Amino acid sequence: ADIKERTIKYAVIYDIKHPHGLGAQKFADLVAQHSGNKIKVKIYAGGTLGGEVQMLSAMQGGTVEMSAVASSQLVGIIKEFAALDLPFLFNNEKEVDAVMDGPVGKQLLERLPAKGLVGLSWFEHGFRNLTNSKRPVQKLEDIQGLKVRVQQNSVAIDTFNALGANAVPMPFPELYSALEQKAVDGQENPYTTVESSKLFEVQKYLSVTRHSYTPLPLLMSKKFWDGLSADEKKIIQDAATEAAVYQRKTNREVNEKSLQALKAAGMQVTAIAPAEMERIRAKVQPVVAKYSAQVGETLVKELFGEIEKVRKP
Amino acid sequence: MTVFIFLGSLLGAMALGIPIAYSLLVSGVALMWHLDMFDAQILAQNVINGADSFPLLAVPFFMLAGEIMNVGGLSARIVKLALTLVGHKRGGLGFVAILAACMLAALSGSAVADTAALAALLLPMMVKAGHDKAKSGGLIASAGIIAPVIPPSIGFVIFGVAANVSISKLFLAGIVPGILMGLSIAIAWYFVAKRENIQPPPKASLKEQLAALRESLWALGLPVIVIVGLKMGVFTPTEAAVVAAVYALLVSMLIYREMSIKQLYEVFVSAAKTTAVIMFLVAAAMVSAWLITVADIPSQMISLLEPFMGNQTLLLIAIMVLVMAVGTAMDMTPTILILTPVLMPVIKQAGIDPVYFGVLFIINNAIGLITPPVGTVLNVVAGVGRMKMDEVTRGVIPFMTAQFIVMFLMVLFPSIVTVPARWFAG
Amino acid sequence: MVSRFLDGYCRLIDALIALALAVMVVLVFGNVVLRYAFNSGITVSEEVSRWLFVWLTFLGAIVALKEHGHLGTDMLVSRLGKTGKKVCLVISQLTMLFVTGLLFSGALAQAQINLDVQAPVTGASVAIFYGAGVFFAVSAALLLLRELLRTLTGKVRDEELVMVQESEDLAALHDLHLDDPMKPDVQPPRVAPQR
Ligand code: NA
Ligand code: NA
Repeated sequence: ADIKERTIKYAVIYDIKHPHGLGAQKFADLVAQHSGNKIKVKIYAGGTLGGEVQMLSAMQGGTVEMSAVASSQLVGIIKEFAALDLPFLFNNEKEVDAVMDGPVGKQLLERLPAKGLVGLSWFEHGFRNLTNSKRPVQKLEDIQGLKVRVQQNSVAIDTFNALGANAVPMPFPELYSALEQKAVDGQENPYTTVESSKLFEVQKYLSVTRHSYTPLPLLMSKKFWDGLSADEKKIIQDAATEAAVYQRKTNREVNEKSLQALKAAGMQVTAIAPAEMERIRAKVQPVVAKYSAQVGETLVKELFGEIEKVRKP
Repeated sequence: MTVFIFLGSLLGAMALGIPIAYSLLVSGVALMWHLDMFDAQILAQNVINGADSFPLLAVPFFMLAGEIMNVGGLSARIVKLALTLVGHKRGGLGFVAILAACMLAALSGSAVADTAALAALLLPMMVKAGHDKAKSGGLIASAGIIAPVIPPSIGFVIFGVAANVSISKLFLAGIVPGILMGLSIAIAWYFVAKRENIQPPPKASLKEQLAALRESLWALGLPVIVIVGLKMGVFTPTEAAVVAAVYALLVSMLIYREMSIKQLYEVFVSAAKTTAVIMFLVAAAMVSAWLITVADIPSQMISLLEPFMGNQTLLLIAIMVLVMAVGTAMDMTPTILILTPVLMPVIKQAGIDPVYFGVLFIINNAIGLITPPVGTVLNVVAGVGRMKMDEVTRGVIPFMTAQFIVMFLMVLFPSIVTVPARWFAG
Repeated sequence: MVSRFLDGYCRLIDALIALALAVMVVLVFGNVVLRYAFNSGITVSEEVSRWLFVWLTFLGAIVALKEHGHLGTDMLVSRLGKTGKKVCLVISQLTMLFVTGLLFSGALAQAQINLDVQAPVTGASVAIFYGAGVFFAVSAALLLLRELLRTLTGKVRDEELVMVQESEDLAALHDLHLDDPMKPDVQPPRVAPQR
């Protein structure tokens, strides 16, 4: 087979033990195994090479070969990715897997090469839940007036503002100290992140909102990809596909464990009654409508169609 | 090998007289070439993203606050307050300098600004009173470097960002060590002054003391806002910095009325220029830090320091001596920027509390400002006091020694730093 | 003529960075006030102030380059004779020109990549962000080229042979106005009679 000695710099924003890192490690192991150790994937964890936005630009320019970056960060580059940020899009993991591994997921990845990126597969960041230091959030009114840190992403900002919160967009590395200083009251992320970034130290209340799901496309620099032989491309694509199955499974397991750990650490976990959940959903409908129009009705219809297919028994 | 390419290219460029920021870029280019990953975008990406940081916004704001305090009469009032409080003791003017330095340190984050204020206001008085000029200048220099240890501190901000350590925790942990540095030079001055045997100025009356206190109350409100704000979790360090700047501005313009619009403009230009010089350096250091990470230099350092890894005290002593050596020749900001990415992984690996290390590191860097041959604060005293460098250098030795002793006591007994830090962070 | 133009250029930059700093103060302070007083905030405050900060850094770095305000050490160079100093200066300027050239091409490439990329909050083109590097590199290259020419043609004055200073805020010292409030009522202490 046509395989050269190569080193791939793979940037991970989180700790190596976080599911982002575990997926990266799995990918690295698979590539090493299938290339007879010729292609080395060197993982730089803990954001040492820079934040997500910088990594996207670095991959486009070819200075970093790989990273898995939250789809919400791609919106600035390809507006269609905003479809995935729509609040309450997915209800559960089954819907997620069907859509991301189906035609819509494929179609989105195919938009990347035009922007200097290659989308290999879908890792996941996961379902997001709301935490805060002020009060248990049980109903829509409890969210009002909370200063909530959101991703630097317009859908997220509009969603929380629609719910009556003050959305504060902020880069993730600054989150802990902002929560500690009470510059913001709350944030929204999967349990794994709340645990691994020790946000539970500064956040008392957790509400199971699952208000949005963040996929994590595994990306490669197109400059690097184009220099690979067909054999090398196959090794990398196969490893990415296999690692994605592992990463999503692991993420869900770790997420459950994290929830237990957060409870054990003293966080007060609040479920939200289905009727309240409906009120909350209704409140964000204008946001869904606004961004559906921006993204393009065709894509959104297709997306909802795919989800409906899973929902129908 | 990689580590020598990095250091060799950096020091080589600096020796030619290339600015340190550019020298860091040169070392980045050398590393890229060595690692066989030459790409101009690596340079541009990291240098531009390196300047893009919300926490580092604290730098211009603290700069601004410090400049406004000097121009707007806040610093002068603090010095006057110290004078009425302790001026009458034997060697009183020296204690005035130390007390004023500690109070000024709680207002400003820069050793140079504080030293300049102290030297301009107190050195002439001390000399006139009959104190030895060299010793007085040395005392003022060593008092001035307390500024970056007691919060606010630009050194802590830059270290906190480079090392990913909580700036608030660093700030709060710096208070007691800063006061101890002041105490150590007070003790040294006590012995120096005893031999000089000079009549102190007359004791200020209670009325004069109260008047001075009332005058400086507005200035003293500033550290209260910053420290209480941080401790109570009201502000992030960046916000504390901007509040400090606006507060100092309002006091200067509306209460003391000592700053004109023209001066205000000059202060903004000056703070912006100084910020740009610091931030360009920070940004350039991001390039070499990125390549240091890619080249795995930290793990080479860890294996180099392996013999010390088992013993935290020995490791810290080794590192402190290294920083002292670097500090003889280099200013604070570049030392922090160059050493932090290399040292932090070692510190973490050895299980040393990063906040505790940060305090020691900044103290060491601060003392570096008064160690010859290159001691910026010595230059300031020499410049403002119209003295020869040799004279100030000679005068500073007893005080510098006292401060190094305190620093090594903190290495041997970490609880000197960690216990009050915990108390403040409470 | 050229030097008059350059001085004017630097004064213009001075005004721009002072303005940038003032806007940063307003945005960040405004955010604090709004948060505590009105429980709201300026959403764009963070992004805009960070971008201004980046531009302030690179614009100010141009002025510092012209005014020899960047940090450095002259420990070695200061011990050399005039010729030695000149040789070091020419090597330095060539090296810096090379690095500046790299910075230019890298920043330009990044600006092009990010031309259509929208910033998350303001929606502005991210090329503006990387543009700071392009602008810096162009200005710095012109300044360095001019200095190199002056060095080679022997027009550089002796004190200009060192292009660095030892500390960042030494430059700010002349702006200290540490005058009057002390003087009227603080009496200089008397010298003690020798016992
Ligand atoms: Na200070
Ligand atoms: Na020194």
